[in-house]
Amino acid sequence: MNAKTSKLRDLALSVVSILCLISLWLVLSSSRPDFFPTPQMTWERFIELIEYPVSKVSILGHIWASLRRVVIAFCYAVVLGISLGIAMGWNKKIRAAVEPIFESLRPIPPIAWIPLVILWFGVGEFPKILLVFIGSFIPIVLNTMTGVALVDPMYLSVSRVFKANTLQTMIHVVLPASIPAIFAGMKASLSSGWMVVVAAEMIASKSGVGFLITRGSESYDVALILCGMILIGIVGALLGVVLTLLERWLCPWTTKKEK
Amino acid sequence: MDNKERKVMLRLENIAKSFYARHEVFDAVSDVSIDVYENEFLTILGPGQCGKSVLLNIIAGLEKPTKGTVDFPASSDTTMGFVFQKTAVFPWKTVMENVELGLQIKGTNKKERREKAQYLIELVGLKGFENAYPYQLSGGMKQRVGIARAYCVNPDILLMDEPFGALDAQTRYQMEEEVLRIWQAEKRTVIFVTNNIEEALFLGDRIVLLSACPAKVKEIYIPRLERPRNNIDPDFLALREEIEANTDLAL
Repeated sequence: MNAKTSKLRDLALSVVSILCLISLWLVLSSSRPDFFPTPQMTWERFIELIEYPVSKVSILGHIWASLRRVVIAFCYAVVLGISLGIAMGWNKKIRAAVEPIFESLRPIPPIAWIPLVILWFGVGEFPKILLVFIGSFIPIVLNTMTGVALVDPMYLSVSRVFKANTLQTMIHVVLPASIPAIFAGMKASLSSGWMVVVAAEMIASKSGVGFLITRGSESYDVALILCGMILIGIVGALLGVVLTLLERWLCPWTTKKEK
Repeated sequence: MDNKERKVMLRLENIAKSFYARHEVFDAVSDVSIDVYENEFLTILGPGQCGKSVLLNIIAGLEKPTKGTVDFPASSDTTMGFVFQKTAVFPWKTVMENVELGLQIKGTNKKERREKAQYLIELVGLKGFENAYPYQLSGGMKQRVGIARAYCVNPDILLMDEPFGALDAQTRYQMEEEVLRIWQAEKRTVIFVTNNIEEALFLGDRIVLLSACPAKVKEIYIPRLERPRNNIDPDFLALREEIEANTDLAL
């Protein structure tokens, strides 16, 4: 079997498995559609959602509200997280001083911060962005730190023989060598951030995809709940795809196999 | 060869290096003294894993000797190029970016360093691969990039640490001839570390034979063989056997 036909076969299998999932949904929902709307009812609710805004915000507006919170928090997490991660991976003293803090905060799920953050900062935009930041910062820091600490010592020797200073060593060796680890951290961080934003919006918000679900639950609009869930899944998956494409474009060497 | 008249580029005096591991002292190098002359091709031959690379790292300034001194009598500002054991070519840089790295770090302007790098890429036979990434190259080609990169800073001394150890036999022979061709085109002082007797004998103006752990200078051979050397020439084979008989067994 050549590469092309095996690719086709894999595609066909993916389509079949999705169809199976939808059939299962169809079978399960047909007995109590008021509890579990059928795919068709969900689709109709989705079309309605496009035509009629919920809480005066269009469907794109809700997606954008959630995305905006995630993207802002993610950018802060990337910049601060990579910097701190490099410092911790490079300097053993900084690592010894800071790592225990991270290790003790890490087991606390970001969602557990929600009550405290709302108590302190209310229900505006800032507390939500802060919550997403809390959820996305830690994976970036820890992955970057590990990546930097594991740079092949031989690569560092190359830069020492050329008498590179620390900044040059960072730019030419340490950063590119730890890019795969940094991207792994960014992917973990983005999916964690997306989870947190939905949770935060479910508890206190007037917009966003998490709010859609809560609204559906409050008004016994089960199809709206399902629409919200599916949207969350699709947008979350697309975010991951964007990062993967970005990695491929920025660092073509990481995705290719050694000859 | 009259060594007294030649310029000494590097003088090692009583170099010793010990490591401390698990409350034990491990001697890697002990009392090595060698003078290395300008433009000579010196091969350092030693069995097994012991001492050779450590010695080279000490010369390069990557490690400090426990005892002894490293001197550069020719100039206090001696630059060095290093070709590493495995291919330490950076996978995130193209061939061109790898080769020009040393000059970039020194702050040479782009036009000048590109010209120099282009010349060396062509010298090592990689014309047409300037924009290729290392994953697109074979092992031998990667090591050619490593050699060009080390040459690019115009080093006074070129250090090579078993550069062809990871290559298959055929590519290895080819690369040995290549490295001689490059050395003859761009004369440098070369210190080439290997555990392969044939390789040391094929390449070296002088061959420093080290003992097993800790590494000491056991003997220095000066092969009176015309270049290009032929590894089935009776004189070559005789000297090879002599060195072989004198080499410590590696564990």
